[in-house]
Amino acid sequence: MSGQKSGLPGKTGETLKSWLIMLPGLILMTFFVWEPLFESIRMSLYKTRNVELVRWIGLDNFISVIGKDDFVQALTNTFSYTVWSLLLGFALPVLLAMLIGETRRGKGFFRTAVYLPNMLPGLAVIILWSAFFSGKESGVLNILLGHLGVPAQSYLTRSEWVVPIIILIATWKGAGATALIYMAGMASVSPELYEAAAIDGATVWHRIIHILLPSIKKLAGTLLILQIISVFQIMYEPMVLTKGGPDNASLSLMQLMWQYAFGGSMNYGKASAVAVIVTLILLGMTAVYSYFNRKESDWD
Amino acid sequence: MNTPVKMVSLLLSLCLLLAAVPLAFAESSEVIDADLTCTITLGNWPPDTAAEAEKALFEGYKATMAKQYPNVTLVPDYYSYSLSNYVPMAKGGTAPSIFQPPFTDPQLLISQHLVGDVTDALEQFGVLEQFSPSYVEMLADENGRIYGLPRDGYVLGMHINIQLFREAGLMDENGLPIYPKTLQELAEYGQIIREKTGKAGLVFPASETYGGWLFTNIAWNFGCVGESALEYRDEDGRWVCNFTSPECIAAMEYMRDLKWKYDILNADATTTDWAGAHTLLGTGEAAMNFAADDSVDQPTSNKGLPVEDFALIPFPAGDAGRYALAGGTCYMFAPDITADQGIALMAYLKILGKLPFLDDDIIAGMRADYAAKRDRGAPVLPAISAWNDEEYNAAKQAIVDEYCNVDMRLYADFFDSLSEGTITLKSEEPVFAQQLYRELTAVIQRVITREGADVEKALRQAEESFQEYLDDEINDI
Repeated sequence: MSGQKSGLPGKTGETLKSWLIMLPGLILMTFFVWEPLFESIRMSLYKTRNVELVRWIGLDNFISVIGKDDFVQALTNTFSYTVWSLLLGFALPVLLAMLIGETRRGKGFFRTAVYLPNMLPGLAVIILWSAFFSGKESGVLNILLGHLGVPAQSYLTRSEWVVPIIILIATWKGAGATALIYMAGMASVSPELYEAAAIDGATVWHRIIHILLPSIKKLAGTLLILQIISVFQIMYEPMVLTKGGPDNASLSLMQLMWQYAFGGSMNYGKASAVAVIVTLILLGMTAVYSYFNRKESDWD
Repeated sequence: MNTPVKMVSLLLSLCLLLAAVPLAFAESSEVIDADLTCTITLGNWPPDTAAEAEKALFEGYKATMAKQYPNVTLVPDYYSYSLSNYVPMAKGGTAPSIFQPPFTDPQLLISQHLVGDVTDALEQFGVLEQFSPSYVEMLADENGRIYGLPRDGYVLGMHINIQLFREAGLMDENGLPIYPKTLQELAEYGQIIREKTGKAGLVFPASETYGGWLFTNIAWNFGCVGESALEYRDEDGRWVCNFTSPECIAAMEYMRDLKWKYDILNADATTTDWAGAHTLLGTGEAAMNFAADDSVDQPTSNKGLPVEDFALIPFPAGDAGRYALAGGTCYMFAPDITADQGIALMAYLKILGKLPFLDDDIIAGMRADYAAKRDRGAPVLPAISAWNDEEYNAAKQAIVDEYCNVDMRLYADFFDSLSEGTITLKSEEPVFAQQLYRELTAVIQRVITREGADVEKALRQAEESFQEYLDDEINDI
């Protein structure tokens, strides 16, 4: 016994140490993530007066919110944002990463160049693009198209154009950062695979199809779900660029939530109901993704 | 004059000068209440980037307060009010002692118990009775307790860019713009301006709540008042939304015509906000803008339109009325202010010249304010007073005349319409005005972006939505 160290027995000590290491994170998570989340759910079930809970009303906030035209419009728009973001923004970072990966000279420059928009403040980007898409004759796009004889258009007042335009702007800002992640993923592919393919006479196209894309499939799946989650929470872009208009054509669910809370009515109960609905939709999507991902892993 | 005489003269002059200094500052250095001890935080303090004149002005107010109330500590705060940032601050006890919301919000803040009561402090200063009754109505609860003071009142009219009127040939023989006196003329003159200059005849900020806000005034002039009001209380005391009256439909059809028949609106109307509208007028992209007398500095000193090319005219009349929306910005107070803080805040507002008192400091404050306006190229105009105090109002007018930097003929009809009563002032719709504006803005957006939009159907949908909101928030409680 004389050789044994004092203190807690081995396993218990290790467990305690682990908990101590996690403690700051757990405390922060509890106060800044879980507690507000719990409060939001609780608030969605109450009639509220500003942030005070007046009385329990069950699911009335949800029923009232879902029954309104603007919710249906916002939900449709939010899915529309998601679809457009997949069309415009999912393949682009992969393409950028492949092109930069294949570049022989100036790779560093291109890496920095594609990431640059991500370093600009979000609001500045929106203001920049609002000048580009301005419907005035002095709008940049109108000037450019004017040289081709196209009359000035009012792009941001066309309900069918606003969502793709907003996604185009978001993609311009965010694609570079995603491309860098793909580049890191692509860099981890063993060079021996490429060498072997080259010996077998594989073309660039074959290398992409049979080596590169399969090796980043899992990464792409993760980034896909992150992109959907991120786009589903789109708010400041439409808020600044189109203010949700025209006629709610660019209103997103998160913006609707903001309107309930801060748009003049201070109805935090309904705002929380919208937030809970968004959370449930995202949880559902993530669960579906996880299910198929697990199934695919099983097949592998 | 020999040297000793010179010396004596110099000494005498110096003595006289030294004696005069305390006399000149006697008023401001006089201690009014040395026992009042508290701290007040002052929202809307000019930021470091503000004009030097403005910063000096507020430092002067602070110095005067320190002399008159030596034990009141003033804490400058750059806080600028918005409903979304104020609520958490008020609930968390960090709201500044005084802040400046627009007149659309006081009733909401009062009903939610988010602001402080200053009735007793006002009584102590003897100004309670001098409030304009319409302002008292806006700033009091149902028991008559006062929670705010008017900072300044405004009346909605129309800003004019004279350069574009000149270019369009809409000037009379006296060199004054031939401006629209009716909403029909507004459409026609706007069309002339569009054809002659290629610029928008009218800038209409149809985003967020701005479009609905301006539309209410148009609707009143189409007859949406009394039994056809946009919202009213029925015999059971329930609030009812009424967007589908023939008058309201006609007003919305007029909005549609401005876009599709006369084509006078600015290109990006649905993304244009209040500030954007002033920018378009100030930079010569639009000839007319529905705006008030309190924002004349926006297109001029802020956006570079010379004051001689700017005019303010009355809100155009409709077939069924000639109303102009009256509102403004007010001072309100944190919900947890003490009685002493209430008195200190009234003392501060008195120094700012916002209470109907006349003394050297207040007159000096007014002069400094108007001088600062003139120096930065903003029109110095008569203010619309919220106090029923003739002496105070006359003194203020005399100072305005002294600093006036504009051709008053360009403003005469606007102010005459108020003093002669040819235009009827009307405050905003009584309940949940911001939500009402939001609903109407959505309808406006629909009719100006879709040529074939069904106006009545769009208004009915908005009516149902706002009615549900009224039921939720006020009728079914």
